Amino acid sequence: MKRIEVLEAILPMIEAVPVVVTCAATTRELASIADRPNHLYLLDSMGLAISVATGLALALDDGPTERVVAIEGDGSLLMNLNALATLGFLAPEKIIVVLLDNGVYGSTADVPTYAGKLDLADMARSVGAVVSVASDRAGVVKALRRAFAEPGPHFLHVRIESGNATCPLFLPDPVALKARFEAWLAGHVRLQDAVDNRTMRRPR
Amino acid sequence: MIAQTDAVIAGIERLKLDFLAYLPSSSIAPIIEHFRVRSGRAGFPVAFPISREEEGVGIIGGIVLAGRRGAMLMQDNGFGNSLTALTTFAVAYNVPLLVLANTRGGLGEYNSMIHSFSEGVPAMLDAARIPAFLVDRRNPPDDWSGTVVEAYRHAEMTHRPVVLLMDFWAPVPEAGA
Repeated sequence: MKRIEVLEAILPMIEAVPVVVTCAATTRELASIADRPNHLYLLDSMGLAISVATGLALALDDGPTERVVAIEGDGSLLMNLNALATLGFLAPEKIIVVLLDNGVYGSTADVPTYAGKLDLADMARSVGAVVSVASDRAGVVKALRRAFAEPGPHFLHVRIESGNATCPLFLPDPVALKARFEAWLAGHVRLQDAVDNRTMRRPR
Repeated sequence: MIAQTDAVIAGIERLKLDFLAYLPSSSIAPIIEHFRVRSGRAGFPVAFPISREEEGVGIIGGIVLAGRRGAMLMQDNGFGNSLTALTTFAVAYNVPLLVLANTRGGLGEYNSMIHSFSEGVPAMLDAARIPAFLVDRRNPPDDWSGTVVEAYRHAEMTHRPVVLLMDFWAPVPEAGA
């Protein structure tokens, strides 16, 4: 399975939650399928997606936001493996890490990462994350459904083939991306609060 | 030094933070301990450790993007671990983020090599277009706490990360003086 196939499979399931996306090919491919305001693309911050998502999940823990998703790559995770340790220590229940593991630095000429030898799912288990492993579309969808149904932190390890889809360069102004994401998140929280309040007031 | 740490504590309390991330340093240990033991109590931020400075930039940045108030405490030699995160995320995305960092390598330093990084920190931050302010022995305690508060406001008002460098060194009075 290619990276873009995974992104296509999970997209309908993550349209109502904040999504932090790792840089380069992953960002380009997701934006080429659907560039949505709930996507926070980290255009050049390799290794920071899980950290930013951890902050969002901590901040939104007692609010109506259902989940916070981080889409990360194996090479990027290995660039900041501390993020995994801190994820396990802080254990935000709403976070779902979708790790797209192709065993190479896919945006830098497919230089191999450690992932060919080390099992990143085992590492995630060792910090206490709820780990699922998938390598096909049905498995990804099933694991993501589970991650939405059960408290986390969740770590969905998806084995993918190397190779990038052909996509145009994605060159937005990061300040505009941030403003768009913040506006979406604030509106989303207000909307969910209103829905929750109506639900609570509804006679049983 | 006690008056200075108390002043920083008072300044942080005035910020009404929701979250405070910290990395260890002897100089700021009393500040960390103050917030660690009160973490999550009414009127106090949730205080939590992080293992490396760059992830603190990401985590506190995420907290701020969600509309909550956060800051991080660290030592200035950790800027070497966080410059990429600060520049490519906090600076590039206009994320207001207060970093409170105690300085190393100056007068009173016992470590023979740490100045090799810490002396260059103000110039590095300047080159990265990250505003940095300094409080030291010349500032009275009230000014330390006020500067903490003003540094946070400055980050909010100018939509960018702001660093407050805190030099806790004070001369030891000579015996009999």
